[in-house]
Amino acid sequence: MQLAGEIARPAAQDWPRLVARARVRRRAVTIFLYAVLILGSLPIVVPYLWLFTVALSGRTGAGTTVLWLTLAILMPALVAALVLRIAFEDERRRRRFELALAAVTLIALAFVTGPYLHTDNFRFLWITDIANQLKGESGTGSRYPSVWTAFGNSLFIALTQMVLVVSVSTMAGYYLSRFDFAGRAGYLKGLLVLHAFPAMTLIIPIFLLTYWVGLLDTLTGVILVVVALELPFAIFVMKGFFDAVPWDIEMSGMVDGASRRQAFFMLILPQVKVGMLAIGVFAFLRGWEEYVFVRTLLFKNTNWTMSLYLFWMNEDVMGTDYAMVSAIGVFYVLPSVVLYTICQKYLTQMSIGGIKG
Amino acid sequence: MSRIELRAVAKRWGDVTAVEPTDLVIGDGEFVAILGPSGCGKSTTLFMLAGIYVPSEGEIRFDDAVVNEVEARDRNVGIVFQSYALYPHMTVRDNILFPLRFKSVARDQARARADAAAKLVRIEELLDRKPAQLSGGQQQRVALARALVKEPQLLLLDEPLSNLDASLRMTMRAEIRGLQRKLGVTTILVTHDQIEATTMADRVICMSKGRIEQIGTADDLYHRPDSLFVAGFIGSPPINLLHGIVADGRIALGETSFGLSGTTAGRIVLGIRPEAVRLGAGKLQGRIDDIEPHGREAIYHLATPLGAIRALEPGSNARFRIGDALAFELGTPLVFDETTGRRLDGPTLDL
Repeated sequence: MQLAGEIARPAAQDWPRLVARARVRRRAVTIFLYAVLILGSLPIVVPYLWLFTVALSGRTGAGTTVLWLTLAILMPALVAALVLRIAFEDERRRRRFELALAAVTLIALAFVTGPYLHTDNFRFLWITDIANQLKGESGTGSRYPSVWTAFGNSLFIALTQMVLVVSVSTMAGYYLSRFDFAGRAGYLKGLLVLHAFPAMTLIIPIFLLTYWVGLLDTLTGVILVVVALELPFAIFVMKGFFDAVPWDIEMSGMVDGASRRQAFFMLILPQVKVGMLAIGVFAFLRGWEEYVFVRTLLFKNTNWTMSLYLFWMNEDVMGTDYAMVSAIGVFYVLPSVVLYTICQKYLTQMSIGGIKG
Repeated sequence: MSRIELRAVAKRWGDVTAVEPTDLVIGDGEFVAILGPSGCGKSTTLFMLAGIYVPSEGEIRFDDAVVNEVEARDRNVGIVFQSYALYPHMTVRDNILFPLRFKSVARDQARARADAAAKLVRIEELLDRKPAQLSGGQQQRVALARALVKEPQLLLLDEPLSNLDASLRMTMRAEIRGLQRKLGVTTILVTHDQIEATTMADRVICMSKGRIEQIGTADDLYHRPDSLFVAGFIGSPPINLLHGIVADGRIALGETSFGLSGTTAGRIVLGIRPEAVRLGAGKLQGRIDDIEPHGREAIYHLATPLGAIRALEPGSNARFRIGDALAFELGTPLVFDETTGRRLDGPTLDL
């Protein structure tokens, strides 16, 4: 068969040249990818680095000397790592050079920034009436609770919220996934609308509501409000996870002798573990970072959360100790960072499970 | 082991009728296949027997006891799903042990039974694996072992072979058949694959649109189909169906007509199996439009005055070429009334 036109075919193909070209291309792609990733993450990483360096080295002010010193060492190290990545394709040989580079970088860091470092800014952890010293006992200082009270409150809100959101959204998601009832489609649409609804516009009604039911200035009130706002999204995601579990599994379980409840707990729940974990982490972080509603609904200093503690410590007409504020920030952000790092694998799966809904 | 009986059992979902009132008796230890296209109500029937669906009407009886209200878990039924429905988070052993968790079986005895069930389907060496680490055929065996471990009085197989490749399907067909004979458990197989149904089951129940069309052996369904639906559904390549109009003792088919006695009905369908068409001799004339050689046999597409006809002849296709004109004759056709779809025994045709 003769197709229209003709494609010229080279007389002899120069294989070595093609191999070389493929190699150059592969390296170019690697360089490009790493460059984009590094440039993209710098605006995220540098502010954190600043916070950490100030927390560990600042003396009442938020100096940037240590940040620049650190960056002056880290940036060349990063470039060196990139060069290594491109120069050696053999992973075992590269690993050796990378270890050496890491060691050199760490030693340089210790040598250059070491003299600046101190833990004095974290003294709020063990001097619990730090506010009295800083702001004066007769002034606003006495209003401040211990940081551990705030930490406990934040933990209580985050954990209780997490348990409530996970248990309610799991059961609701299962019911929405498996059972038909009048208004099911409307309910699902309602969930989406509620999820998209700007919660800020509800602050005044929520304030009045909590006041009328007597939950104003209680942790319970805040927890219930945050749970209510968090649930639509959580239910929707959990429904997606349950949708992905075939009906056959529970039918099979029930023929095998399980009751519907046993089938749910023994066969279905293990399949949506990842979803529950993801929802749980999100709910925890949401409760941990909560600021707007605790600021609006809580007044007593024994009810302060970490976010309020940070806010009030930052609030001072006489001049703020930004080094300590940074240290509090580090103390506040660490649990989130650790949790997020451990669980990011599950969090990314959440969107996959959610799409199936 | 038990005798299963359906008395006017029907299932409706609102206005939609999945299964029309159906009567059926399945003997103790019998292997029965329910065959039909998708949406014919065969799986619904199976799920009613399993206790997953409650019938809208009628009675399901196990050994003369009405079980309509009995829950799935109390029916002592084993089921193999099309998807196998293995529990992904459990090992093969735990999967097989699962049905025994709900029975008062001592731990070591349960383990022994699970091992025996695994041995029966030859998966002893896979007991510690997770379902995701198994091939399709192995998963199928696990599902079988799990269905058999509680010694069910009724074994239900829902399209158990449709997710396997062709050669494995053949092995599993023989294996399930052998297993059923050995254990003597009453078994119902649901399938849309006629070969699966006819090769495995003692009796085949052919269903269409929620209704039983015919119950019989493979021979009955193939050679003596009760209805147009069964004639068309069973057989590959499919039966030739020629539509004609009867008037004045003759039937008009395509451009010609033949003498027909024994009926005065208006519209008639003739069913002729492809292998009943004999090529190279006879009073009829046709031309070969296409030949599909299959090695063992060849299928010929003929253009004839009666309409397009498929013929199947064993052996090589070297005798004919595409475009050849040739003589042929039809064997004794099955005659169906087009309006009712039922087979007519009376009419004889003068071809």
